[in-house]
Formats: sequence, C-alpha cells, structure tokens
Amino acid sequence: MIDIMLKGLPFLWQGLLVTLEASAIVVAAALIAGVILGVGLSYGSRWIAWPIRLFSDFVRGLPLLVLIFSIFYMLPLTGWKVSNFWSAIAALALFETAHVSEVARGALQSIHPGQNEAGKAIGLTFGQRMLYVVFPQALRRFLPPWINTVVDTVKGSSLLALVGIVDLMLSIQQVIGRTFKPMPMYVLGALMYFAINYTLSQVSRRLEARFAYVRE
Amino acid sequence: MSENDAAPLVRVRGLTKSFGSNQVLKGVDLDVMKGQVVSVIGASGSGKTTLLRCVNLLETYDGGSIQVDGVEVGYSDVNGRRRPRRERELARIRADIGMVFQLFNLFPHLTARDNVVLGLRKVRGMDRAAARELAEQWLARVGLADKMDSLPIELSGGQQQRVGIARAVAMNPKVLLLDEITSALDPELVGEVLTVVQELANDGMTMILVTHEMSFARDVSSRVVFMDAGRVVVEGPPTEVFAAQTHERLRNFLARIEFKRS
Repeated sequence: MIDIMLKGLPFLWQGLLVTLEASAIVVAAALIAGVILGVGLSYGSRWIAWPIRLFSDFVRGLPLLVLIFSIFYMLPLTGWKVSNFWSAIAALALFETAHVSEVARGALQSIHPGQNEAGKAIGLTFGQRMLYVVFPQALRRFLPPWINTVVDTVKGSSLLALVGIVDLMLSIQQVIGRTFKPMPMYVLGALMYFAINYTLSQVSRRLEARFAYVRE
Repeated sequence: MSENDAAPLVRVRGLTKSFGSNQVLKGVDLDVMKGQVVSVIGASGSGKTTLLRCVNLLETYDGGSIQVDGVEVGYSDVNGRRRPRRERELARIRADIGMVFQLFNLFPHLTARDNVVLGLRKVRGMDRAAARELAEQWLARVGLADKMDSLPIELSGGQQQRVGIARAVAMNPKVLLLDEITSALDPELVGEVLTVVQELANDGMTMILVTHEMSFARDVSSRVVFMDAGRVVVEGPPTEVFAAQTHERLRNFLARIEFKRS
C-alpha cells in the first residue's frame, strides 16, 4: 500500500497544485467581491442592498454542482469563449462570494452604530470610517466564519474534476484508473485535503485569540 | 441677547423631523452665538437629543434649516432646490462640529491617544508627530496624562468620557455638541466630566448641551432652552428659566427632576 502511495504521489502532487491554485484564485476573488457586497448589504440603500440580497439568496440556495454545470453549459451559449478551468473557477467564485457577503454582513452589523456615528462626528468619510473604524473591529468577527468559507472552497474545488480539470480529485482518479487500487490513493488524497484544511482552522484559532481586545 | 450683533454661529429655523408618523420636532428655532453655552432641557421624548443630532446631521431633518457659521448643514441649494449633501461635503462640515456621546463611542481598538489622533491625521491631515503631540496635550488637559496608551476597556466611564471630549475638542470645532454626556456614568464620576466641560466653557468654547444635570445647566449656561413635545417652550438666561417657573410644563418637569434627586 505504501509503495503504491509513493508511486502515485508525484501525480497527486500535480493535482494538489492545481487545487491550491484554483482555491487561491477563488478565495481572493470571493474575498474582495464578498466584502464589497457585504458593505452594500449593511450600509447600502434599498436599491443597492436588494439586488445583492437576491443574488446572495439565489446563489446560496443552489447546490454548487448545479452552479458549476449551469455556468459550464451556459457560457458557450452566450458566445463567450472561456476555458473549462475559468468557467468552473467563475462558478466556484460566485458561490463563495455569496457566502462571504453574508459573513461580511454579519461581521459589519455586529459593530455598534455608535462607532459609525463617532466616525462621522470627527469628519471621517464613509471610506475612512470603514477602513479605520469598522473593518478593524469587524475583523475578529469576520475571520473565523470566513476561514470556514476558505475550507469550503478547498473542498468545493474537488468538483472541478467533474468538468475535466485535473485537480487533486481527478488526479487521484486517474492514478486509480491505472492501478485499479482505489484505497491507497483516496487515503492519500484525503490526508492532503485534511492537511490543508486543518492548517487553515488552526490559523483561524490563532487569529481569533489575537483580536480579543473587546470584552463580550 | 449677546454683546455683538454678528450672526449666530448656529442658527436653527423652523426645524421639523418625523420618525414615521411621529413628529418629534415641530418647528424649532434656536440661535447660539459664538462663545455661548446653551443647555437644552426637557423630558425624554421632547426632541432635545434629536435636535442636537440634526445639527451635525446624524439625523436628517425634514423641513426648516440649520446653519453653522452660515453654512446649511444638511442640504445644498441647487437652483432653489434642496439637494442632500454629498458624503465629502458632509464630512467637511462635520469636522467643524464636535460631538460627545452619551455612551462615549470611543473606538475600542485604539488607545486613548489614537482615538484622538485618528481625526487629526485623517481629517485634518496632520503628520504623525504633530497629531500625537496635540492629542497628548488635550488628554493631559482632561487629566489623562497617564492614560495615553490605555485602551478604552481599561478606563473607567468618567475617563472614557474625558477621552471622548478630548477627541472632539482636539479637532478645534466651531461648536461642540454634548449629548447627555453624564447620563451613563456612575454618580461619583459625573463631577470629573463636568469639570472638564466647565473649563471648556471658561475658555469660550461654543457649546450646545443636552443634559439632565439641572444645577450644572444653571451654572455653566449662558442660556437654557426648555423643550416640550417637539417645541421650544421656554428659553432665557438660566436664572430666569429656573426661577420664574411661569410655564406649567416647565414647572412640572423641574418638580419631577427635584423629586428624583431627593
């Protein structure tokens, strides 16, 4: 079993890199877009918040796989030439953006309205209030659930295999296709996924402890 | 009313404001001359806090006008039509109107010094060293020279409120708004905060304060304004307002306050 694992390892390593690359792109995109949408949900007028609400509820209500296939089959119909990789990345990013926007909204709304008023009273603009007053305080509420979305992204990226992207998941299956021994490869793959996500949750725990300046 | 005939620094005319169907301000007029201290008293629900919050547009107002140093606070006039001010204009106007809050509203992630420094750096554009120096001067003036590096959570209520005052006055505002700043304090901490306000008054700071501290209002104010049900009912020098008691509602209000005291 060990020798099969060792033989398969280089192939899985390639897949792992694809998984990490795809996850990193999705996490970065969803972080930026999700925070912007979360700010819109928390502070925007009805005309800004309502469409975001609609988007977020709709996307979060879909199974990720349905979203991936929808975009995979729909994008070509619009005449847009997008590779499998980017089509699947877009689907995963949309999905995670919707989740991050909710995490951001929750974190922002946990900040007492008096904080914004105090910022206004000394003449800070909206952007300055977000940057110097609200975000630093919301961060500690944001981080733990946000890291959960990162973990979800890494796990969800395994569905990229279904549109033919050779990520960790598909490389596991390819190796099994040649060795006909599923167990060692799945164990190895599972350990790899676990290593990534366990590291993330440990980081989350550290960060949580570091930002504990407010009594609850 | 005042020695000089100059225009009032804060000029409120016909101010109206509703929360839903509840009209909390029903046409309020108020003039505050430079250097004056005006206390607004009245029962809760009389609209006094809403009035104060309209002056720096923490609340929008429906009708009427508020001018601070000749500038309409909430709206700009575009060809005779009222247009809500843009964020940047509003921020510039608010920078010149200080406010101290009932619940302090200090920034909990910043030290006492950095609470004061933030506005000096980001709004006044001072460099780090100058902002720190000015912040430390003000914190020392409110008696917190040894608390510069403390986080708000490490300070007592009275100390927090004095940081709140330092944060507001360090911006060198034209007028300072004080919204029931001692209401959330333990009784033994009220004095230290009022002393600071008294000193600011002696230095000629223009202030509008909403307060339940009647004896303080009497001592510190140039004028006292009694509000009831969204209107200014009685106003005048503190001695007259507190002594005359010709107005029935004012008399009842003051009696209730005295009753609570004893």
